[in-house]
Amino acid sequence: MATKVLVAREPRSVGRSFLLTLPIALWSALMFAPIFREASRPARIAEVMTGIFMVVLFFMMMRTWSTYRWRRWFFVAMGLLFPVGFIHQVMVMRGTMGIPIEEMIAGRTPFCFIPIPLLILPAAFTKTVVFPGSILPNGGMSGGGMAAMVGIWLAITIVVGKGWCSYACFFGGIEEGMAAVPAKAALRKIDSRWRYGPWAVLLAMVLLSLALFEPAYCMWLCPFKAVSEYVAARNAIGMIQNGIFIVLFTALVIALPLLTKKRTQCAFFCPFGAFQSIFNKMSVFQVKIDKTRCTPCVLCQKSCPTMALNDESIAKGETLMSCMKCGACVDACPKDAAVWHIRGTEVAVKPERARLMFLYAAWAMAIMFGGRIIAGGLATILHLFV
Amino acid sequence: MPAVFAFSEALILGLASGPACVASCGPVLVPSLLAERSGMRLNSRYLSAFLATRLLGYLLFAAVAWEVGALVSLPSPARSSLFAMIHLLLAGVLLRYAWSVGRACNHACGSPELVTIGGAGRHRIPGAAVLGFLTGISLCPPFVAAGVRAAEAANVAAAMLFFAVFFLGTSVWFVPFAGLGWVRRNEAVTTVARMAMVLIALYYFYAGLMTLIRRTTHGY
Repeated sequence: MATKVLVAREPRSVGRSFLLTLPIALWSALMFAPIFREASRPARIAEVMTGIFMVVLFFMMMRTWSTYRWRRWFFVAMGLLFPVGFIHQVMVMRGTMGIPIEEMIAGRTPFCFIPIPLLILPAAFTKTVVFPGSILPNGGMSGGGMAAMVGIWLAITIVVGKGWCSYACFFGGIEEGMAAVPAKAALRKIDSRWRYGPWAVLLAMVLLSLALFEPAYCMWLCPFKAVSEYVAARNAIGMIQNGIFIVLFTALVIALPLLTKKRTQCAFFCPFGAFQSIFNKMSVFQVKIDKTRCTPCVLCQKSCPTMALNDESIAKGETLMSCMKCGACVDACPKDAAVWHIRGTEVAVKPERARLMFLYAAWAMAIMFGGRIIAGGLATILHLFV
Repeated sequence: MPAVFAFSEALILGLASGPACVASCGPVLVPSLLAERSGMRLNSRYLSAFLATRLLGYLLFAAVAWEVGALVSLPSPARSSLFAMIHLLLAGVLLRYAWSVGRACNHACGSPELVTIGGAGRHRIPGAAVLGFLTGISLCPPFVAAGVRAAEAANVAAAMLFFAVFFLGTSVWFVPFAGLGWVRRNEAVTTVARMAMVLIALYYFYAGLMTLIRRTTHGY
């Protein structure tokens, strides 16, 4: 096999790194430059800061050859700033974080991507969308309807597959930040069968959504309701629902990531993650293990935040279908055996080119989608001071 | 002629209500069927047991509906209690089923038998049969609609026949589920099915409990 031997990881030259960053810098300028839109002073400052932040992170990815740690800065920032911007918006529009039944009946519930798989069966059986939001714009808080969110999700997913969960999901950042806090995991032995959790939640929620004619996950199990938009607790049922949200958030997003150093909500619970894994099969970008280089030291397995590598998959030279393409295993591998790969090409031939092509797509999406979330959150904070 | 008309009505009502029945029974049927081993023959046996006891539930319901003049005329608290009990029973059976699947796989994975629940030895019964019966007496909307018509029948035999034909109409929609026999069963599929059963059982437990609490505190 024509395997290119990688040189030791000397930092890439500043000039070359700059050149590689140039397309992203131009894209970022297009997205965030204040000359392109009317905005308040705090919003303009926030947008410029976000633009610079995203470009600097990409530059560092190019200079250091490393993906995971720089991506993590972006991802954690998005995870932390999403509730700030969203809660502020909800409070301005509605005066409360709780969504009352009147808003639901009026179809003004903001739509996120997680209910997408829950809507398919009811729509197929009855031609009805079982979500109390609007299909077209002007329905939700953000003014964007379900059609816009589904369209954005589909376009991104076709390109990056489950990379969505590492570059676009505005929920995963909080737990990734929590997982980064401890130096070592206190809880190391995790039964590998928990990996099937997201599929079980997906199966149960899809079936219950069809039976109950409601987005069952949003109604009963979404941990992020605790930091975005809870049920207006006007009766015992509302209080039970909110209690479940808070317990799940505390356990899956705060406590378990701190104990395990894993993204436990994403790895063991999120039904959208399981649904997204199916699309990993159609994405052109993959992470592979070059078996000619692998020792195997299982450092990749230990570093994976979602347990998407096991002994069998390493022996086969691939990740499991739940791989989120975060780059942790590639960065952790001391032998450069874990590599970025483009489907249809030979494994480990020009892996850096594969990484670049993936990162251009993923980072452009991150700027467009996550960048706006970061800018929105920052602007909310800056409004307090500027 | 009126008899032919009535049975045509029952069949069409069953065919038209089939998707609603599948949606209502799906949370019970799909994971428990996936938890069985693969193979068209075994899965067809599962469906046969499920549908046969579902028919039994239907006929029992038809007899009661005719006797008391349709369950819809039952006082609301009694209906709530019945509804809650069925949900609680479903939760218990699903949990037991999920546990039994684990035991069946540990001890006799090659056995071409349906997963059984219940007591020891000969007292064990296929879980499919229990689940079929419990879903057969659940008060889903099409079922209540059929109950109203059955209550108007001339005698109990006619009411039961009405429900039997209604059952045939709805059962057509269940036949495709035998195709799940083609899905290859491995640790992943069985574990996912068992975990899903536990989650669904928790929901039924909650629904049953809340109905009972509401009945106690508010009287409906």
